[in-house]
Amino acid sequence: MLSAACSVFSFFWFAARRARRNRAVVLVCALPVLAAGVFLLRRILVGDPGVIGPRVFSGMIMTFYLQFIVLMLALFYGTSIISEEVENKTLTYLTTRPLAKPAILLGKYAAYTVRSIILVSAGVVAAFLLLDFEQLGDGAVWLVLGRSLAVLVLAVIAYTAFFAFLGTFLKKSVLFGLFFCFGWENIVQYFPGTTQRLTLIHYLKSILRPEIPAEGGLQSFLFFRLEPSPAGTAVLTLILFTAAALALAAALFARKEYLFEE
Amino acid sequence: MTARIRADKLSKWYGNVLGLSDVTLDIEPGVTGLLGPNGAGKSTFMKLLTGQLRPSIGVVLIDGRPVWNNTALFSRFGFCPEQDAFYEDMTGWDFLYRLLLLYGGTREEAAVKARRALEFVELSGDSDRLIRGYSRGMRQRLKFAQSVAHDPDILVLDEPLNGLDPLSKRKIIKLIKDFKSQGKTVIVSSHVLPEIEALTRSIILIHQGKILAQGDIHYIRDLIDGHPHVVAVKCDRPRDLAARLVGEEAVVDIRFGGAGEVVLETRNRDRLYGLLPGLAVEAGLDIEEITSPDDNLQAVFDYLIGK
Amino acid sequence: MPISERGYQHWPGTLAERRRPWAPITRLGIRLAFKRKFFKFALGVSLLPALVFTAGVYISEKIEDFKFMARGRAQFLSVDPAYFKAYFTGDFLLFMIVMVLVLAGAGLIADDLKHNSLQLYFARPLRKRDYLLGKMGVVSFFLLLQTLVPGLLFFLLKLVFSGSFKFFSRYPGIPLAVVADSLVLTVFFGLYTLVLSSLGRNRRFVSILLFLVYIFSDIFFGVFYGIFRLPAFCLLSIKANLQQVGAALFGVPGPYETPWIYSAFVLAALSGAAVFVLLRKVKGVEVIR
Repeated sequence: MLSAACSVFSFFWFAARRARRNRAVVLVCALPVLAAGVFLLRRILVGDPGVIGPRVFSGMIMTFYLQFIVLMLALFYGTSIISEEVENKTLTYLTTRPLAKPAILLGKYAAYTVRSIILVSAGVVAAFLLLDFEQLGDGAVWLVLGRSLAVLVLAVIAYTAFFAFLGTFLKKSVLFGLFFCFGWENIVQYFPGTTQRLTLIHYLKSILRPEIPAEGGLQSFLFFRLEPSPAGTAVLTLILFTAAALALAAALFARKEYLFEE
Repeated sequence: MTARIRADKLSKWYGNVLGLSDVTLDIEPGVTGLLGPNGAGKSTFMKLLTGQLRPSIGVVLIDGRPVWNNTALFSRFGFCPEQDAFYEDMTGWDFLYRLLLLYGGTREEAAVKARRALEFVELSGDSDRLIRGYSRGMRQRLKFAQSVAHDPDILVLDEPLNGLDPLSKRKIIKLIKDFKSQGKTVIVSSHVLPEIEALTRSIILIHQGKILAQGDIHYIRDLIDGHPHVVAVKCDRPRDLAARLVGEEAVVDIRFGGAGEVVLETRNRDRLYGLLPGLAVEAGLDIEEITSPDDNLQAVFDYLIGK
Repeated sequence: MPISERGYQHWPGTLAERRRPWAPITRLGIRLAFKRKFFKFALGVSLLPALVFTAGVYISEKIEDFKFMARGRAQFLSVDPAYFKAYFTGDFLLFMIVMVLVLAGAGLIADDLKHNSLQLYFARPLRKRDYLLGKMGVVSFFLLLQTLVPGLLFFLLKLVFSGSFKFFSRYPGIPLAVVADSLVLTVFFGLYTLVLSSLGRNRRFVSILLFLVYIFSDIFFGVFYGIFRLPAFCLLSIKANLQQVGAALFGVPGPYETPWIYSAFVLAALSGAAVFVLLRKVKGVEVIR
């Protein structure tokens, strides 16, 4: 099963290399870097330090990536895992090879997840270097970057797994996915008490700790109304959720039959 | 000979729509043609054979083992689907090479097989181009190449000659016959009946989800008692010939076709063929041509579906 | 002209003088949109604000009967240009417009690109602009249903419920503003939808893109405003620009302290860019190297 999944990973890693949509995806991931660039330019031209770089990184950049870009990437790639093969009628090439169906799903999931992680990480690191270039000698700042990257990686893995399940289970997965992203995750996370623990973003934000004390504005937006869970619990929950979503998706895919529209 | 593929009481429903009904047959090594109109159940049968669909009732066995979800069997067959679908952003080489890697062999083995398959379908020169830029014929050849590249024992080909030029068609037909001579099993479906006839005499006729007939095409034709054979004779004095045959019991109907042609219907073709040379000599007839217009797949099929 | 059994015959007639080749494309697009499972639901939900505002128009005339609702906030039910502006620039309406466009418009050009249908279209006596007009017609139909129709309905109902033309004489510019803002929303969102649909062959990708660009522009504005506190950053947000222009058309102060003419310019520039991209993307023959 593992070697089959690795073969499928390799297949889709190379298949997606030249995809036309890559340009749009790279552009989306680079937009926060553009914002960071504008901030830096303003500092250079105007000379007014204003809000300091690390705060912009922790507040703006992370909000951008965590609450928007990662969701969109995961929604697009996650729902595509099986739907894309059915819509393009290429599923036959995979299901007539000696590959266990779960291996097909897991291999493709891995390929898309790694791709998303690379894109997101590149953007985050670029934005970090632009915003924090004066503090690069400070180890604490690198710790912030490390933790931010770890959270974003977990976010990509968990959300893509969830949308992979959604894509296998539902036909109109994008619609439900949009509702989940901009309805459930963006609203319920601000509910008080245990309710907010029903969102994935709660656990992701619980892992992130504000290294720079919040002075209102940027930082407080990201952690607004957050009643954080312990970091260890948050990581475990995310891992278990990911495993469950992938297991369900794999089981569904193995049982389902797919008919192509003539 | 041990049957390679066996379908036992195979049925498939899509909701309330019947795709295939109670199909029981054995397919032996060699080339078997699968014939039927659109919606007859050919693709459903092929998808059941290749494990893409689960039977509602019954089972498909390959060498005694059920196909559905049995991935170990999948390396033994190659499938050429009907739909024109590819990973458009890959090159022909990438597509073939990476699909071969999915069989678990080494990179070198996959490269050798890919190169060989591309050479055979004459796509070596275009293998570095994106599939998106391939013509219809090139795409069809690539599709065929991916089904044979790993040297399977069983080949299931759904309309493999679609979109090919006559030279390519001949090449593919030759390859299919080579497969047969190696003792492999090939199942081919096609709408173009002369192509099926060029490939094989062993056919399965399918209509509305049911098997109408299976076996040698001529044997099936002979079994259709309800429809007499048609024999067309072109000669210099067709009415004279007709007059001499009108009293013959083997002849059930006589009519006149185009210039110099008399069309006879008979329930005993062998007897009629035996009579004709004698009559020609006796009457001094100059017979140009004797043909049997309905001794072909189209006629057999039309008879069986009641046209 | 039926195709004869034994071969296709060339039609001996002449083309009609006043042709509308875009009309069948529009009709088909609308029909296909209604066939989508969740579309009717989304369209219904998008008309909820219209329902609420219609009720508001009624209540404003029967204020005595609904005094319990007013409770000192008589201004709440005052039907004036600000009332119309509130409808046309409401966050919910604009959001639902995008949802309707996702369902009805995402595949308009993307599906044709995916199935190589453009060659079939342009093998007919159809110009590029007829094709684009036809597609634009589909989007315009639904957008006008959500904007022009309710807007004019509010105005007419106000006249009917008040029993006089006093409202019209007091605010004669409202009907024109309704038409103008409806056109602004329709043209902008129509071109927005078509250009994004032309960028992909995958309907799912385009659906996400439609959503992403709209929401992203607003988030971008929010973040930059949060850092720099400059209202000029509202020009980055599609929603903010539409709200600025809408407010200006109804003669009401906009939500941001930026001249509305800049927002109008941004929208016009985006629309122009969309036309430019569409004319390049939509072609009968694609050369693949």
